[in-house]
Amino acid sequence: MKMNDKHISCEQAKEWLTDALKGELSSEDQTVLDAHVVQCPECQRELALTRDVRNWLQTDETPEPSSGMESRFYNMLTIAEQENNVQTPNVPPEQVGPFHFTRKPMVWMQVAATILLLGVGVIAGYWLRSRKAGDELAQQKIDIMAVQMQEMRQMMMLSLLDNSSAVERLQAVSLSTELDKADGKVIEALLTTLNYDTNTNVRLATLEALIRYTDEPQVREGLIASLALQDSPMVQMALADLMVKLQEKRSVKALRQLLRQKGIRKTVKTKVEQSIIQLSSV
Amino acid sequence: MLRVKEGDLYPMGLLFKRYHRELFGFFYHMSGNPDASEDMVQTAFYRMIKYRNSFTGHGAFRSWMYQLARNVLLDHVEHNKRSARQHNVEDYAERIGGGTLADELLQKTEQATQLRNALARLSEAHREVLVMSEYQDLKYKEIAEILNVTEGAIKTRYHRAMNELKTIYLKNEDER
Ligand SMILES: [Zn+2]
Repeated sequence: MKMNDKHISCEQAKEWLTDALKGELSSEDQTVLDAHVVQCPECQRELALTRDVRNWLQTDETPEPSSGMESRFYNMLTIAEQENNVQTPNVPPEQVGPFHFTRKPMVWMQVAATILLLGVGVIAGYWLRSRKAGDELAQQKIDIMAVQMQEMRQMMMLSLLDNSSAVERLQAVSLSTELDKADGKVIEALLTTLNYDTNTNVRLATLEALIRYTDEPQVREGLIASLALQDSPMVQMALADLMVKLQEKRSVKALRQLLRQKGIRKTVKTKVEQSIIQLSSV
Repeated sequence: MLRVKEGDLYPMGLLFKRYHRELFGFFYHMSGNPDASEDMVQTAFYRMIKYRNSFTGHGAFRSWMYQLARNVLLDHVEHNKRSARQHNVEDYAERIGGGTLADELLQKTEQATQLRNALARLSEAHREVLVMSEYQDLKYKEIAEILNVTEGAIKTRYHRAMNELKTIYLKNEDER
């Protein structure tokens, strides 16, 4: 077929104009388009308009992200590596970028923890030397250290959780998994975070942290109650999954209520329906 | 790229270096809010780390990244709806309106403000295809892969969105 024979409508030409400006028109079609536009004033106007509008779009320039964004990322990556127990490979510094904690409280808390632990060690050591260090005493020393460590972690965790930075709240949640056992205060803080944290990731991480404590009735009840409070589809689905895993039949009522929630996402709905069936079948 | 999956988090740093600006641009042009956009970039990378096993290695990494980013954006939009916060047109105007302005800059600011208002009036789907195409420089084919629809459907959607924007543009011209 000879290309010069091919004619297109103005409608077709207008579509192709846009594609041509995007650089997504084949050279054959381009030739046909050019032939049309050259002799069509209407399409010439359309070409000018399309150019103007695309220029207009370019007036919305992307601002520079703040310099803190990068360090926040590496901060998070470091936590993820720790959680993963992945050894950080030796990466040349220019590739990793500057790693530092973005806010001071975390560093301050770590320093405080170290000083306190050192203090405990010195006192315990002094105390031990003043008596005869038998096995029993050594064990007591370890116990005291463990208790102090536990309290310190708990204190750090609770104060970090009360932080405006989502990254630090994530740190707090990950810290909670290092606690040997969680007392009521920690569980309460975690449940509050699960229900009211503005950041979905923090809520998801909190849910994961709470899984360790599902033997506690307080946690179970808290999780069931949380179903009604979640607005993130990710959290809703994770909660539904957990209910099935725990075979928590008491959650069926809350799950049914979730189904009636306004604007519930389709994927969530399907997942919740499945969960209800699985919980009712046994 | 498959190394991302294999427990080795080292490639995440490289991926961040390579894509964080692009992602920031996507969130920024969709939301108009630079601060929220930074948070969303962080969230997106957090999820990439967390769900790296869901990256099958089939298809482009970039598509997978955008699919994840869209979910992050959706969560953000829904959360904002709940807390009854509005799209950030005013914030935006205020931000670029600050500082000393030459006439030219003032005009540019006005245009940019009008553009944001126009984009905010489009449906989410139309705005998305425009942002992906015009700011993110994604091809029809790539957008189709991300949204999991045919290339033809994306072309049609893009043309409709463009036409809508043209109409608003002409109306603004008349009023000027
Ligand atoms: Zn024509």
